[in-house]
Amino acid sequence: MVILREGLCPGLTADLITVLKKNHVRTVVDLVASDLEQLARKCSLSYKTLVAVRRVLLAQYSAFPSNGADLYEELKASTAILPTGNKKLDTLLDSGLYTGEVTEISGAPGSGKTQLCQSIAANVAATLHQRVCYIDTTGGLSGTRLLQLIQCKTQQEDEQAATLERIQVIHVFDAYKLLDVLQGLRQSFSQQLLRSGEKLRLVVVDSVCAVVYPLLGGKQTEGMAVMMYLARELKTLAHDFSLAVLVTNHITKDASAVSRPALGRSWSFVPSIRIQIHRDEKNKQGENRLVSLVKSSRQPANLQVEVEIGWCGIFEEKNMSTACGT
Amino acid sequence: MQREVGSCPLAPSVRSRLIAAGFHTVQDVVEVTASELAREAGISEDSAVKVLQILRPENQRGSSTAQKHTALALLEEEQAQASIITFCSALDESLGGGVPLSKVTEICGPPGVGKTHLCMQLAVDVQIPECFGGVDGETMYIDTENSLLVERLVDVANACVLHCSLITQAHQQDDQKIAMQRFTLNHILSHIHYVNCHSYAELLAQMLVLPDFIAQHSKIKLVIIDSIAFPFRHSFDDLSLRTRLLNMLAQQLIHIANQHKLAIVLTNQMTTRIGSSESLLVPALGESWGHAATNRIILHWERLQRFAALYKAPNQKDVTVQFEITHKGFRDVQAVEPETSSSKSEINPRKRPREHDKEYQP
Repeated sequence: MVILREGLCPGLTADLITVLKKNHVRTVVDLVASDLEQLARKCSLSYKTLVAVRRVLLAQYSAFPSNGADLYEELKASTAILPTGNKKLDTLLDSGLYTGEVTEISGAPGSGKTQLCQSIAANVAATLHQRVCYIDTTGGLSGTRLLQLIQCKTQQEDEQAATLERIQVIHVFDAYKLLDVLQGLRQSFSQQLLRSGEKLRLVVVDSVCAVVYPLLGGKQTEGMAVMMYLARELKTLAHDFSLAVLVTNHITKDASAVSRPALGRSWSFVPSIRIQIHRDEKNKQGENRLVSLVKSSRQPANLQVEVEIGWCGIFEEKNMSTACGT
Repeated sequence: MQREVGSCPLAPSVRSRLIAAGFHTVQDVVEVTASELAREAGISEDSAVKVLQILRPENQRGSSTAQKHTALALLEEEQAQASIITFCSALDESLGGGVPLSKVTEICGPPGVGKTHLCMQLAVDVQIPECFGGVDGETMYIDTENSLLVERLVDVANACVLHCSLITQAHQQDDQKIAMQRFTLNHILSHIHYVNCHSYAELLAQMLVLPDFIAQHSKIKLVIIDSIAFPFRHSFDDLSLRTRLLNMLAQQLIHIANQHKLAIVLTNQMTTRIGSSESLLVPALGESWGHAATNRIILHWERLQRFAALYKAPNQKDVTVQFEITHKGFRDVQAVEPETSSSKSEINPRKRPREHDKEYQP
């Protein structure tokens, strides 16, 4: 859906475009879809030129087929699995966050979504030495807390500082700004490809709901469009630059009082992996959280583990490791 | 992949015109001049100029990079920031030094438990000069329930001035003496900017003018909304509109808090959630509002004693502490502020008469 413009391809001259425009052929799609013979006669243009232009445009704008073997090779070369730093959570996620995928954590207020995000970000930065981009839309991120988590991983102060420097923090508070930031990320990637060193591996968006909710509801439909733009941007970002994208979501209750991730059905297709976190009903004050798998392409659904969120976040303290999965 | 025109903050009518004219990506638009754009898309020149202003990348970059930094910079910023103390050391400790700046803190509780009192206490405490470990700020007090009692505010402020003057006497430091000359009851009261909002429309309007007001009064370090729940708990037929407005408000608040590095304190009422086996007292305004505040403190009664439970906080443990409300304001139970207890405890017995509590009991 690109407007015909001079210099788009050889042979597409300014004169040609003006003539085409007079005949209501404005975009590439218009030109490709029109009957060229008729068009040539109507505009008194050379049929050969039009066919040549169409061929070049088609080659330029059509999707490129590739075969499964190549895809598999590419997958092997580009996919990484980022462990979360918690063994039980890793079993739930089939050993960690996969690059190229969008993973979603949903949960009620105070259930530990932000804690989970911060712990994973700290783990990726501290033990894997990869860069993390943390987009905070709720003001929940705390540098002090990140430092505490990193201190559980390493004792050296210069290493702690280096780890903190690997985490980039962006505060945005509305959906359009978030789209700007993601676009900026994409641009910085294309520039960064030339530069070697530590790669950006994880993008955390905490939370998607906070920016999308103000646009949803009432009688306006604009919010849905923005949400889907956001969804596509996140998914393509994850795929194009082999990033792991971690987002958080609220929960809603449906008619039968079963809690489900928020943002409705159309969003439910966006994350490849969805996990839900909730407080233990029997032990409200405890630090244990139940984490269950809602959607996954690799693991059986409804897998559930119990994760403790304590001083060290979700990281196991050294002397304790009691697995209990169901 | 190119950014699409549809994903940019343009007016819906302009956007649909642009897309109909074949301008699908931002790149398509920024390459043409304003007059060309106006002619091709059939929009007025003014709106074409505006569209280009929004979409030109140099403008976008200016607005989004301002908020970008590393976690190390964030940590340094946080460590440089003081918190607003509550005069209840147990609560301060559980919050990590007091009510944090650049965050939104929500106080929930049943009627009469002391939400407004805590707000008044904070409105005064934010003004404590820096040499006493305070923030030396001003307060914006947005009242929606007409519940601010100025005579109680005077009590609280007097107690605070007294407290600081006792510290000055004990330490005999020059900077504190100079600060004390300025730190008087009148000074405190005149630096509380009070606004009364009677409906949600007034409250939303106030939110829009708030950034300008804060820009004029750059010393404002605390914005209190007492209460956020009241205007939103009546006169709403369309509940999805209510949710939308509340979420919008939440994002505005956190934006203000983050941009101006000030604390925002909201109070919220409680409501009963009727479950299958038991019913629970939960904060009002619904589940999704629970995400709005960064910190959530729930005040509650247990027999004759008041408790504050930290329910949600990103960098603190969830704990429950006891507090009480004396005629001097929001305090620890028993006079146990280590550094000042010697000077203060003999002057004022902190215990509140218990029989007074009984009227509040449900």
